[in-house]
Amino acid sequence: MTSISALKNVHLKGKFGDYEDKNEKDLIKIKEIKNLLIVQIVQYKKSTLSIDNFNLDGLNFKNDSLSVSNNENTRILWNGPKNWLLISNKIELIKEIKENFDHMNFAVTDLSHSKAIIEIEGDKAKEVLKKGCPFNFNELNKNNCVNSIFNGIAVSIDMINDNPCKIKILTLRSFGESLYHSITDACLEFGYINN
Amino acid sequence: MLYIKCPHCGMRSQNEFSYGGDATVKRPDLNKEVSDQDWDNFVYNRKSLRGKHLELWQHLSGCRQWIKVERDTATHEIFRTLKANEDNS
Repeated sequence: MTSISALKNVHLKGKFGDYEDKNEKDLIKIKEIKNLLIVQIVQYKKSTLSIDNFNLDGLNFKNDSLSVSNNENTRILWNGPKNWLLISNKIELIKEIKENFDHMNFAVTDLSHSKAIIEIEGDKAKEVLKKGCPFNFNELNKNNCVNSIFNGIAVSIDMINDNPCKIKILTLRSFGESLYHSITDACLEFGYINN
Repeated sequence: MLYIKCPHCGMRSQNEFSYGGDATVKRPDLNKEVSDQDWDNFVYNRKSLRGKHLELWQHLSGCRQWIKVERDTATHEIFRTLKANEDNS
């Protein structure tokens, strides 16, 4: 599966913003992430199954806000009560999901082609997000996720790493270009490099 | 800006929420005769209180859950928040 880039019309390689006289490692790095499996898994309210008995790729489904179960290939983000977003580079996992999560208890939706993903990396990544999002990013640590808004656009934010700060921002594909412009505008003062 | 404590996610900005109206309104029982006045009261008539008020809000840009918020409509002070299925008392 190779998805068509959601940002190919706007994402240009190079250095932008206030990058002069700055060390390249101090610039914010912006990347588009694609070709991932993205699946929303929702357990119906009427379902009596215990989610503790389920796991995917060796990962449990946590029912706490901000929590992420992860290994090197897969991340399971808490999206809401009994609602998770699975992001994985193991595309074949969809088969296992469809076998294990029956339609009487779970709603499984493949969103792989419905999302645009921007990854920003650098010490100022949180400062960039603070400009457009009302969430208190000082509370967001490594392997936390949050659903919020950035300049009015609904986003899911996944904190991959904290040193250096590496954050994936997911939004609906149709909002991808608008979000990209918002993010890059917010990055201008720090200088950014597109990969 | 108001901050609302979502019972599922924690303290969040009002920007992430959408107002859903009076949380005390009860739909008339199903399969029973409903007078025009009762139906009118359910659909249209609201007290528009000044003071403490129990409201529905949806955490639209967060966990997407409906919650109840007890708020003072004059001062905007929020006293407590509840899950949608929690009792108000």
